[in-house]
Amino acid sequence: MRNARASALFFVVLLGLVFSGDARAQQPADSRPPEATATADEKGQVDGTEREEEPTGWMGKVDAFFGEWLVKPLNAVLFFDFGTSWFFNDEKKSVPFLVVWLLFGAIFFTIRMRFINVRGFWHAIRLTKGDYDKSGETGEVSHFQALSSALSATIGLGNIAGVAIAVGWGGPGAIFWLILAGFLGMSSKFAECTLGQMYRKVDRDGTVSGGPMHYLSDGLAELGWPRLGMVLAVLFTILCMGASFGGGCVFQVSQSLNSLQEQVSWLEDDQFPWLYGLVMAILAGVVIIGGIRRIAATAEKIVPTMCILYVAAAAYILIVHRAEILPAFGLILESAFTPEAARGGFLGVMVIGITRAGFSNEAGIGSAPIAHAAAQTDEPVSEGIVAALGPFIDTIVICTMTGLVMVVTHAYNNPAYEQLRVDKKGAALTSNAFAETISWFPWVLSFAVVLFAFSTMISWSYYGERCWSYLFGRRTSMIYKLIFIGFVFLGSIVAPKSLLLFSDLMLFSMALPNIFGVLLLSGKVRRQLDEYWQRYKKGELEWKRQKR
Amino acid sequence: MNWLPRKNILVPVDFSDDSRAGLQTAREMIKDPAHLHVIHVLPIMEVADPGVIWDTIDDQSRREHAEKALRQEMCEQGFDDEVHIVVRFGDPGHEIVAYAEEIEAGLIVVSSHGRTGLRHLLLGSVAERVVRLARCAVLVLKHT
Repeated sequence: MRNARASALFFVVLLGLVFSGDARAQQPADSRPPEATATADEKGQVDGTEREEEPTGWMGKVDAFFGEWLVKPLNAVLFFDFGTSWFFNDEKKSVPFLVVWLLFGAIFFTIRMRFINVRGFWHAIRLTKGDYDKSGETGEVSHFQALSSALSATIGLGNIAGVAIAVGWGGPGAIFWLILAGFLGMSSKFAECTLGQMYRKVDRDGTVSGGPMHYLSDGLAELGWPRLGMVLAVLFTILCMGASFGGGCVFQVSQSLNSLQEQVSWLEDDQFPWLYGLVMAILAGVVIIGGIRRIAATAEKIVPTMCILYVAAAAYILIVHRAEILPAFGLILESAFTPEAARGGFLGVMVIGITRAGFSNEAGIGSAPIAHAAAQTDEPVSEGIVAALGPFIDTIVICTMTGLVMVVTHAYNNPAYEQLRVDKKGAALTSNAFAETISWFPWVLSFAVVLFAFSTMISWSYYGERCWSYLFGRRTSMIYKLIFIGFVFLGSIVAPKSLLLFSDLMLFSMALPNIFGVLLLSGKVRRQLDEYWQRYKKGELEWKRQKR
Repeated sequence: MNWLPRKNILVPVDFSDDSRAGLQTAREMIKDPAHLHVIHVLPIMEVADPGVIWDTIDDQSRREHAEKALRQEMCEQGFDDEVHIVVRFGDPGHEIVAYAEEIEAGLIVVSSHGRTGLRHLLLGSVAERVVRLARCAVLVLKHT
């Protein structure tokens, strides 16, 4: 236990060290809750208004402490906006640095990899189908299984609640930017997941482990920057653990509870919301501490089926409203470039769309490479190409479907839902949009939401545990798991805004070390890609396929 | 060397150069390779690991892989098939000591990785735990 305590202490000290620098840098530009922080807010504060209370009790004090000393400085640095609020004539709207960073990365990788998101698309589908699977290659799972595992972490409330909030706030134009960000994000995903495969560790027992911490430390060491690599890797693991508690846990619980409350009255805030947290905490505990494989496996394997059901239901609604689909696209395009001023103008809508896409598909964030590293292949590039399907399915298909339903049912501007939009009750908004056509669908949706939330939590607990093990070793990972279970329960009873905003900042800021490292390593990826593509074009991979 | 009250010697192997040094030291101490036991300890898999979720990896397959790797390692190090090899799951320190008791080992030859400072504080030391928990003699080879 002595080591365990020492590790915990070290964690806190390190956290302090990492962020104290930021704290000093931020003094002049502090109190800014701009648009994108509002979008960060959305993840956590959707149920906002009714639970907001003056900070009282220990929870309130912790919240206030976090807010003053951690979130405010972090917010000022990570969402630094270069004074862009000047464009909007509004103090509260701006273009934050991390959004620009994500977009810059996605555009850079798209060009550097010569539009791998387009030219690799068909090949990705055939790889996922298993056309190129070969027994005897290193790894744990097939291309399809790896993609499915990665998707179970990204498909969650972001696709259902997040998009509704984006369209409710930014208008239909946000969908255009969402799709564009998803399209470009495919290239970020390709680059990071190829690296995840290139630098994965294969153990003697046939298991593999990979992810940004490995390619940052080993990859940059190869380039002659071992210290930089180590710093980035450690920074990444800390941010990833923080994100797993927030976006990967508290946000999932509070949002799915929010959706259930629409259906089940005794879960309302003045009744027994904590029961939901307790059930989720027990279930999560049974899985990640008790090691009950069946529950985790079922929850994750069911994700693709639920996705298909969700898309089918959305498609049905679109068919019912088919006359409005073309005008809806017209509206989306039109308002993408000339939105109403009230919705934050051109840049405001763009920021909302890109932020929502980033939160949903996590391209450039660095979470997916951990799952994709497990794929069974000797060709890192092939798994990168498969991974690029992630943002396509997550954002271009599922998020767009949610968005289109919002537009054709007019849920985005129906005055009846004004309160839901103001409260940022995204899941409830989507639920109402679906209910206009399929009255019983909210029940199905609630079930899907709870399931997505649960599978996302399980996947993120795995990402977090990997990071913990990388820093502190496996022996103490029980500490991480206990903290995680604690956050599951907390998600149902408290809405500490600062704590949530903090963890959302962490999710986003994972992109800082990750994209930076992937940028430096992009030359290696490009060389591997060119070499692979040449063989693919020559048909050498087909030969391998027939030989199977 | 007859100072050992019991003949079995246990050498934990993690495929590092340090543990290879442990094997060579043990070789000098025994006459009969049948008294040499080699253990490799694997961590317990996380339930959310993709390989566990999709049921493509289990402890049986991991054990087989690891045993094969151990055999090969022993071969490369110049030991014959009489050496006993075993693969266990769990915390290395505890598993090594538990197995030593099972086979009534007289000595555990363990190599220290020589981690210092922060990494030692964070990751601890298997060698240290073996020394603390073992009920037989432990020879710790220092990292050079």
